[in-house]
Amino acid sequence: MLRLSKLRYGFPIGLFLFFFLDGSLSKVFSNQMFSYPYTMVSYLVVLWLVCAAFFEGTIAIPLIPWAIAMGVIFDLYYTGIFGIFIAIFPLIIMLTRTLIRALPQTFLMNLLIFFIDITVVATLSYIGNSIIHQASLTASEFLLYSLAPTLAYNLAMFVILYFPIQALYGRLR
Amino acid sequence: MRRFFSNRRLVIIIVCVIICIALMNLSVVIRNKRSTPPLIQQFGNDIVGFADRVVALPVNGLQGTAEAISGLLNTYQENEKLKSQVEKLTQTQVRDETLSRENKQLKKELSLNSSLTDYSAVTAAVISRTPSSWQSQVIINKGQASGIKKNMPVLSGAGLVGRISEVNKTNSKVELISDNNDSANRFAIQITNGSGQTVNGVISEYDKEANRIVMGNVTSKTKLKKGDKVITSGLGGVTPKGLYVGTVETAGDDDYGLASKVVIKPAGDLSNLNIVTVAVAKE
Repeated sequence: MLRLSKLRYGFPIGLFLFFFLDGSLSKVFSNQMFSYPYTMVSYLVVLWLVCAAFFEGTIAIPLIPWAIAMGVIFDLYYTGIFGIFIAIFPLIIMLTRTLIRALPQTFLMNLLIFFIDITVVATLSYIGNSIIHQASLTASEFLLYSLAPTLAYNLAMFVILYFPIQALYGRLR
Repeated sequence: MRRFFSNRRLVIIIVCVIICIALMNLSVVIRNKRSTPPLIQQFGNDIVGFADRVVALPVNGLQGTAEAISGLLNTYQENEKLKSQVEKLTQTQVRDETLSRENKQLKKELSLNSSLTDYSAVTAAVISRTPSSWQSQVIINKGQASGIKKNMPVLSGAGLVGRISEVNKTNSKVELISDNNDSANRFAIQITNGSGQTVNGVISEYDKEANRIVMGNVTSKTKLKKGDKVITSGLGGVTPKGLYVGTVETAGDDDYGLASKVVIKPAGDLSNLNIVTVAVAKE
């Protein structure tokens, strides 16, 4: 029951914290993250949403409404183009929940699920931005210069933050 | 698989995709056509912007501390260099003051209230940056309330770094000149060579690999040298005249040999944006 758990405060606070950290880290480390031709995109907010799906257990956080709300804010505040992340974030939650049911819950399997999630997020954002002519890379350039560094960064973040977030959920439960 | 793509689900998925694409195109159209986003969007952005400051402040503070420590290590050499520059600067400043006073008097004689060079500077702090591969966009903490309007030029330190792409009440987005978007870096610029002749043109692209601004399609035969100064020309739009852009690096034929192409070394530092200045043109 979310109503009785401390997560009803902890989850939204963490969500917004990770959302703002995405922008702040991109700004502070802009030389390292956006050094031509490679671009690393920070998706910490996806990390938080996916970890919530991993660790929620019996609490059942309403993740899809939260994901839609976060998508709206991400679109309006960061990109200014409405309609991309509002669809991607809830899709990621559905995908993660499907995969959790299919795979055993271990650290390596969760890493694999997160790998798939980030690939889907980056690819869909690339397709969306190509439609409105914002992204001008070809598909192979996208794989090499955008997807690969993004995966490296986000998986590293996942490895660093997985156990702290698990411990946090254990405490807030 | 068959159960996953049942009839009803398929219809819902397709409707969602169509709605999303429609929304994307609508927001691009709105962004291109209107000078301000819809009120509800501004309101949302303002609230999120306020919350962002709570997180951005400590993170930026940490960055500031790290920079201060590394700055301390080469203070001595910098001090020596700056001392010699300060003396020159005082001279320039005094001369500048005299000239601007004279300029004001002359304008009064001509009963000219404002010209292209008149602008006031609004200083803003960068709160955060769009986490995206496709947009080089930062968010600053000043908006309509400080007189900022869409398309105004943004400077960092010495030179031009971008333009305002969206204004809310208390924050706005800045598209850097390195952005992929076609309209991000189309500034009208002017190059003056040693003998006082000027070449007008428009920035045509940004070379990300070498960090250089390129002014293409130049048909003028005026000779340009390395080190000639580039400023905004103030033609068209809300960009005032006389903002420093950079210096000429090379001037030669373009890839097809038809027109010439000028490569400009930008004066603004895109890699270290903390405080930016928005040049607000006077009406």
